[in-house]
Order: sequence, then C-alpha cells, then structure tokens
Amino acid sequence: MTTKLRVSVVGDGSLTESIIMGLKTRGHDVVSGNEIKKQEKDIDLVIETTNLDLDRKKNNLQEIEPFIGQDVLILSTCLGVTATETASWLKYPSRLVGFAAFAPWEGAELIEVAPALQTNSTYLDHTRQFFQLLGKEIEIVDDEVGLVFPRILSLIINEAVFALTEGIASAEDIDIAMTKGTNYPMGPLAWADEIGIDDVYAVLAGLYRNLGEDRYRPAPKLRKMVHAGWLGKKSGKGFYNYKIEE
Amino acid sequence: MSSTTVGVVGSGTMGSGIAQVVAQNGFNVLLFDIKEEIVIESLTRMRTRLEKLVEKGKILRDELEEINKRIQTSTDLSDMRVCQFVIEAAPEKLSIKKDIFQQLDKYCSEETILATNTSSLSITEIGSITRRPERVAGMHFFNPVPLMPLVEVIRGVITEEETVKALVQFAKALRKIPVTCEDTPGFIVNRIARPFYNEALKIHGERLATIEQIDRIMKKEGKFRMGPFELQDLIGIDINFSTTESVHQGFFGEERFRPHYYQQRMMQSGKLGRKAGVGYYNYDN
Repeated sequence: MTTKLRVSVVGDGSLTESIIMGLKTRGHDVVSGNEIKKQEKDIDLVIETTNLDLDRKKNNLQEIEPFIGQDVLILSTCLGVTATETASWLKYPSRLVGFAAFAPWEGAELIEVAPALQTNSTYLDHTRQFFQLLGKEIEIVDDEVGLVFPRILSLIINEAVFALTEGIASAEDIDIAMTKGTNYPMGPLAWADEIGIDDVYAVLAGLYRNLGEDRYRPAPKLRKMVHAGWLGKKSGKGFYNYKIEE
Repeated sequence: MSSTTVGVVGSGTMGSGIAQVVAQNGFNVLLFDIKEEIVIESLTRMRTRLEKLVEKGKILRDELEEINKRIQTSTDLSDMRVCQFVIEAAPEKLSIKKDIFQQLDKYCSEETILATNTSSLSITEIGSITRRPERVAGMHFFNPVPLMPLVEVIRGVITEEETVKALVQFAKALRKIPVTCEDTPGFIVNRIARPFYNEALKIHGERLATIEQIDRIMKKEGKFRMGPFELQDLIGIDINFSTTESVHQGFFGEERFRPHYYQQRMMQSGKLGRKAGVGYYNYDN
C-alpha cells in the first residue's frame, strides 16, 4: 500500500466524519462516491459506513462496485449487519472486510476487524496496513453484528434505557450510578448521545434480526428516538439536550 | 451531627467499611456482630486501615484518635436503641435480615430510620416485617466502601419520601454521592452492569473472540478501566454469578439476564478469580 491513499468514504454512519477527518489530517485524498462515478479515478480503498438503512448500504456498495477495480479493498462497518451478508451483495465478495467502532473514534487506540466468510486473507493484511496509517491497532475477531465492544456497550445502553422507561431512576442518576458505582468511563445514556442513538439502535436491531433472541430486543424508546430524529449530541437532543454549535 | 449515633449491624467487609466511613465523617458508630471476637477482629482490621491512612498522610494522628473514640462495639442488638440511623449489613439471607429487622423494630424508637445494605433482596419485603415500613429503605454501598463514592438510596413501595430525603442527606454527610431508585431487581448498578459480563461470556461462548481479546478490546476501544473477565476475577466469579442469578430470578427468568453456563462451570471448578489464585487468568506468583 502506498503512503498517500485515495479513499472513497460512502454512507451516513456516525463514524463518517471522524474517518474523513482522520484521513485528511494524515494527507490522504478523500473521494466522494459521485466523484468516482464521474472521474473514473483509480482509488485504493472504499469505506462504507451505513448502519441503519441496510437497503441504502446495499445500494451504495452495488452502485460503486462497477467503477472500482475488482481487487480494491472494501471496508464496511458491521454495526447493523455482518460482513458476510454485506459481502454477499457484491460481485467480487472476497475483497470485503468488516470493521466496527463507535463514534467518536479519535480516542480509540484499537479498531475491531472481522473477515467475512468469503474474505481472502490478503485483504486482511491490507486492512491492518490501512489502520496502521491511521494510527490504530486492530484486533481480528469473528464476524457477527456489532463485533465485541459495540455489541456489549449497546446492550448496556439498552438496559439503561429499559430502566429509565420503567421509571426506576432518572437519566442523571443512572449515569452517575454507572460512573461512580462501577467506574464506567461515561454514563451509558450520555455515552449513547455521544455515539449516536441511530448507531446504537442499528446494533441492537441487527443482533435481534440475526440472532432472534429476546435479549437483543431494542428498548422501544430507542426506536422512537430514532424516528423522532433525537439522535444524541449530533442532533442537539437525545437523552439530554445539547446546544448545537455554529 | 456529633451527637448522632449510627448503628451498623454486621461487621464483615461491607459493615466494617461502612462503620469506618461513618466514623471518619464525625458520627458516633455502634458496630454490632453476633460474637465478641468477630466484632473485635473487624475493629482491629479497620484500625489497621486507618493507621495506613495516617502513614499516607490522608488523615492526621489526632484525627485518628478522635475517630477511634467514636467507635463502640456491641453484641446485643438492643443496644441499637440509642441510634438515629441503623444500617444493616448482615449476610444476604432474607431469614437473617428479617430476624434483625424485627428486633431492631422492637428496640429502636419509631423515629429511627432502618436501612439495609442489601444488593439483591427486596426493600419492600424487609420493610413489611416491621411496624414502620415507611421508615425502612435501602442504602446500598459499593465495595470497597471507603473508596467507592456511590450510594444507591432505594425506595420500597411503602417508604416515605422523608426517609429517602434523610438518607440522601446522610449519604452526603458521609461525603458519598447518592442516587435514588425504586425497589427493583439489581437496583441501578447491578442491573445495568449485567450485560458487561453476560454478553462478554456469550461472545466468548460463541468463539467470536478470546477472553484476552475481549478484555483488550473493552479497554483499548471502549476505555473501560478493566475488561469483563479481569473484573470478574477481581470481584470473584462466584459473587458475580450469584448477582446475575439473583437479577435473573428477580425478573422472573427474563431472558436478557440468563446466566451463562460457562460462568457456572468456572464457579463449580473452584477457579473463582484472584482470591483462588486462578480464574480466567492465572495469579500465581
């Protein structure tokens, strides 16, 4: 892999901005999906970040695939869907590698990566090199919705939302309890606001759809918040209210 | 404040930690246990902890003497009649707690607030065997009590709001951070923390990642201070398992809280974590 990369970032997941920023500050070119379709420029890598609207994720990938070489690495978030299912939408599925992280990812030293069943292992090497360029270690785990950290944290947040809707305590007290009683780095509800309620909901809905177990059933309030556009900090309202800067 | 006497029933890890914090914050303490030698041994361990605080410069030697003077011991529950607050920190068995609360109810003035440090039993059930359920509430401290800032103040179905307010004030006077919650299984922390352990066990059970990987990911990506397996080893895998079981039963078998068989196998094997020298990790020196 060359040191200056041309990367196309498509999709609307909460990570999108962090990734684009991370690439640009390290001197890499970021090319939009439309630019690829018009300019027929060679690119080194595609990153797809959509998590909630899986039809859109599928469309994004299928629209871009004819314009890129058949051996170009595609990194795709597996917060709402497995890498294997995502790869199945492609004409050349062996170049897809899944990854998972929650926004904001600037502070994370490590990103989880999961090969699809179809992935050819040379693409895992490319993936490792790419994340190294961005200053991230990787941990390779098996492919399932949400991988490890987003899956565990989403379930903690889900339980906090059930407790909140059942009226057992206020949002503030729930967050204080988890930071002061068991040393969590953030209270789960404030953390959900930070990540984006849509991405948290995508993980839970994806696990529930794929695994069919009641433990993954998203708290109804989360679904309603997504419909209402209360997506957390980025929309000015989530479990707490925020002033939108600018 | 200095005239207030707080009873602490049970001188185990939690009881002695609570008694220490209460005495350090200017209250008189009456520390109870069933046998003289148990309560004396507990007091000796507390004095060693306080002595270390003096060595570290956290408290002055003069203060230490004042603190020691404020602590009395007892093996007779009727001595609790002088207390304005009583905190029960006896073993987590309903029959033991019921017996204690029935006696306290008999000996203490009807103004006295009776609090339980239970982490798993119903405050409402404990309160209902007294004649003052409106003055019974949960006051759940976290281990180690002198270090962990949180106190969950738990409102039973019949608990009066004044009782909750008084315990919130009392927790603040102990320089703790109180939160209030309803009497529901696991209260706040033990309920919401369940997936941290349970889902980690399930991910490992499905062989999606190893124990070491999961701990590394939760620390380096999630910024948790400890990974779920390291933390179980620290808490004790048996203790963690029984908390999960109790929340699961409290919710009448709700699927989200179902314990993982592997955690039960670990417990059955005696690999209980640090205290056994081995758990998910080895602690041999």
